[in-house]
Amino acid sequence: MAAIDVSIITKQNQRLAIKLALVAALMFGFGYALAPFYASFCQFLGIDRANASLTQAGSALRVEFDVNVAADLPVTMQALDGVQVAQAGGQVKARFVLRNESDQPVYLRAVPSFAPVRAAGVLQKLECFCFNAMSLAGNEQREVTVVLLVAKSLPAEMGAATLSYSLQAIPAFTHKVRES
Amino acid sequence: MHSPSIASTHLHTPGEHHAEHQTGWARWLYATNHKDIGTLYLWFAFAMFITGGVMALCIRAELFQPGLQFWQPEFFNQLTTLHGIIMVFGAIMPAFTGLANWMLPLMLGAPDMAFARMNNWSFWLLPPAAALLLISLFVPGGAPAGGWTLYPPLSAQAGMGMDLAIFSIHLLGLSSIMGSINIITTILNMRAPGMTLLRMPLFAWTSLVTAYLLIAVAPVLAGAVTMLLTDRHFGTHFFNAAGGGDPVLFQHIFWFFGHPEVYIMALPAFGIVSQIIPTFARKPLFGYVSMVYATCSIAILSFMVWGHHMFAVGMPATAQLFFMFLTMLIAVPTGVKVFNWIATMWQGSMTFETPMLFAIGFVCLFTVGGFSGLVLSIAPIDTQMQDTYYVVAHFHYVLVAGALFSLFAAVYYWLPKWTGYMYHEGRGKLHFWWSMIWFNVTFFPMHFLGLAGMPRRIPDYALQFTQFNSLATVGAFCFGLGQLLFLFNVLHTIRGGVGPAPAQPWEGGNTLEWEVPSPAPHHTWESPPDIAMVRRGLIAQAVYHEGEDEA
Repeated sequence: MAAIDVSIITKQNQRLAIKLALVAALMFGFGYALAPFYASFCQFLGIDRANASLTQAGSALRVEFDVNVAADLPVTMQALDGVQVAQAGGQVKARFVLRNESDQPVYLRAVPSFAPVRAAGVLQKLECFCFNAMSLAGNEQREVTVVLLVAKSLPAEMGAATLSYSLQAIPAFTHKVRES
Repeated sequence: MHSPSIASTHLHTPGEHHAEHQTGWARWLYATNHKDIGTLYLWFAFAMFITGGVMALCIRAELFQPGLQFWQPEFFNQLTTLHGIIMVFGAIMPAFTGLANWMLPLMLGAPDMAFARMNNWSFWLLPPAAALLLISLFVPGGAPAGGWTLYPPLSAQAGMGMDLAIFSIHLLGLSSIMGSINIITTILNMRAPGMTLLRMPLFAWTSLVTAYLLIAVAPVLAGAVTMLLTDRHFGTHFFNAAGGGDPVLFQHIFWFFGHPEVYIMALPAFGIVSQIIPTFARKPLFGYVSMVYATCSIAILSFMVWGHHMFAVGMPATAQLFFMFLTMLIAVPTGVKVFNWIATMWQGSMTFETPMLFAIGFVCLFTVGGFSGLVLSIAPIDTQMQDTYYVVAHFHYVLVAGALFSLFAAVYYWLPKWTGYMYHEGRGKLHFWWSMIWFNVTFFPMHFLGLAGMPRRIPDYALQFTQFNSLATVGAFCFGLGQLLFLFNVLHTIRGGVGPAPAQPWEGGNTLEWEVPSPAPHHTWESPPDIAMVRRGLIAQAVYHEGEDEA
């Protein structure tokens, strides 16, 4: 059996190991590169939900209003102005109709949330039915509003924003304490 | 028979074999021999398997009935997190590296791994890493409790236990990368003459592809946890929304590592089963080349599907569709493998020794796990199943019935070669059937729990989930108990078993490791195996035909 040339194989091994270690180092850097890459990749492909090109509203901001009602709450809520166009520096007013479907009074609160979250910095709530807890008498129907102040400069990449309200019941005792 | 005692040429530098003269703890601490290091890896993995297993039993004990019986929710979350990290990084991955260390040089006709001293380092990084993880249980704030995925903001807000876990992951990653470099170099540069890449055993192929996967993704995980560390202590805001960062970015980076990681734990299992089934079916592996291509396809596709772990983060429909279809596509090469194993068994002269039983158990149960994975790949269904016990059932079918069963199969298959003795077949079969039955009792009901909506990672649950949880807990304790039988079987074999094993204990084994005596001597293939011997084995495996090279 011919002897193996140890030195040649050792050198080959070392060369390959260095290459592989280099690949590992590059992949470590790739992990960091994903941070800026991630945002620009989404914008490039147009899969960013808040991309301006999705709104067809020019430089303005498309504001959508959404409502959710907790399963145990006998209340319906409807957005009368589901979609609005917000101009930079202007105001947006949206109305909602609340109706208590039961004979009993209900105590509730509306919890707002913005999507994308950074839209909260662009749309400031001047007046909102969500600021206070509410009570609805049996079968009462009421119209409530929210007024938003739009920032003077809108971020170029943000084309659409959603303000979502979740209606939740609060116990009568808590409600009374808050009102007092 | 080749005489492994011929010490003509080998790839160690002079003086490197001092470890062979040492005994006791020094032999293991300074080990550079691939067999010693393989043994160390395997015992370490088993110790971690028991540690992670005890944590699993603590989890199941709490879930035996609703309400809080044993643990507070904070500690329960620490248990689930550590169980996951320990099983993935401490048990399954080191076990496969141990097998690669033990078997690759033997199968390829190499005297040792390419870098013997680095091999020693690769192993000895593991115990400190494991110690850091376990110490985290005793520091203020306790161990990390945000799940093995370490998602921020939970992980960003956790106590110093998270820092220990991050350092532990750094060490584990470093160990994996060094081990992978060793495996790739050994496979590419040190094969026996006549053994081309497309003629080497499938276990070598899957080890090679797995090692490449690890080199590609382990550093990415290291990057992610380093960013987490700097977010926690050095004022960066990679994942901190208040500072302009994005927690979802962590999920992208983590799963860019995490999904290939799934295949890092599955591909070596495929390799093991592809060695065992032909041996006990007494037929060459059906479709060897298609198995190699399927392995490579799975590896490549595994990089493109990470988004399916994040369907519920608010991903655009376009991206969901992209990840959904690519995920489904992985079923194709996986199906190629399953059909090839079945075709190998088809009309074979099968016998059902313990390794074969575990291999067949693997094929059946891994397929169940694969199908539930296919269900989860469908984005609208995944949105329903997200973070329920259906997902827990799915990945335990893949990782316990997949990776772990293949490891049991491998241990029983190669135990005669390692120890020189035969294990007790009856007890081996008992271990298989015991594990098979109680594994299914444990994890199959979790499909139903998940479909009914029981969330994962909770210590308490609604009353309607009680029966299936109780059943799963009984199954888990019995399954755990059965692993003591495995330990007994291994120790019994080491101490003599049922008698000495011949060099080739299995009739159908045709790879090179069966050409050396049992137990495999400390040094083997110091001169490369004879080309005629290599060819004889390759012909029996149907990867080489007489006179092929000359033509």
